[in-house]
Amino acid sequence: MAVDLSTIDTLENALTYHRERHTVLAGNIANLDTPGYRAVDLERRTAGTPGALATTNAAHIPTAPTADFVTSFDDGGALQSFDGNAVSLERELSKIDANRARYATSAELVSRRIAILRYAAGDGT
Amino acid sequence: MSSMDFFTAMEVSASGLSAERTRMNIAASNLANAQTTQTAAGGPYRRRDVTLASVDVPGTRNTQFAQAVRGVAVSQISQDATPPRLEYDPGHPQANAQGYVAYPNINPVEEMVDMITASRAYEAGVTSMTTATNMAERALGIGR
Repeated sequence: MAVDLSTIDTLENALTYHRERHTVLAGNIANLDTPGYRAVDLERRTAGTPGALATTNAAHIPTAPTADFVTSFDDGGALQSFDGNAVSLERELSKIDANRARYATSAELVSRRIAILRYAAGDGT
Repeated sequence: MSSMDFFTAMEVSASGLSAERTRMNIAASNLANAQTTQTAAGGPYRRRDVTLASVDVPGTRNTQFAQAVRGVAVSQISQDATPPRLEYDPGHPQANAQGYVAYPNINPVEEMVDMITASRAYEAGVTSMTTATNMAERALGIGR
């Protein structure tokens, strides 16, 4: 029986996405006092959206959509201040914390998955 | 795969911390010089103002979302052009012929508010940097 590593691949994409999203959200915090700056966020497109090539022959290798299927967008969730800045501190901080929790969850799932494989690879002790 | 790692996130946060510290320094300098009537350039001290601008983060490759990652930098420190406040004090060594002394155009309340907002923004930057560190440590724990 083949070892199924697709779960780990999927979780790895999730980890990459949450790491990149954190970088973008950290940029919003850094620009709290930049005139005219508007908060941005990353959106993760699900697998099977444009970019994945169709396979018409059994010998074709399917292209796996990766975490690069991400687009940034103006999050529009904050009131604009006098200097044109639209970043809400509370909103960004809560996003950062929720994102951190999701990252931790994915990391934990990878660890569990590896533990299962290690258990199976051993003699079940 | 992506070119960004946790160091990029920390670099972004660091740029914010450095910008907020500059704002804090300038506000402190304005407060300290609220009564300075003579400077090397002549005339009373003039209020300084910090302008920030978002910048590209070096090291992010030209990916689809790299332009979404923005650091921050001080784009200029300008002098406030509003005229000095004149106060009648004929005995003052810097008094003019009419007996008026030119004091800096500084409102201490305004400077205090600037200082508080800079300090809060600095704290937020520290929080986001700590979060990046926690996430990186979490990643190192995978498979242990």
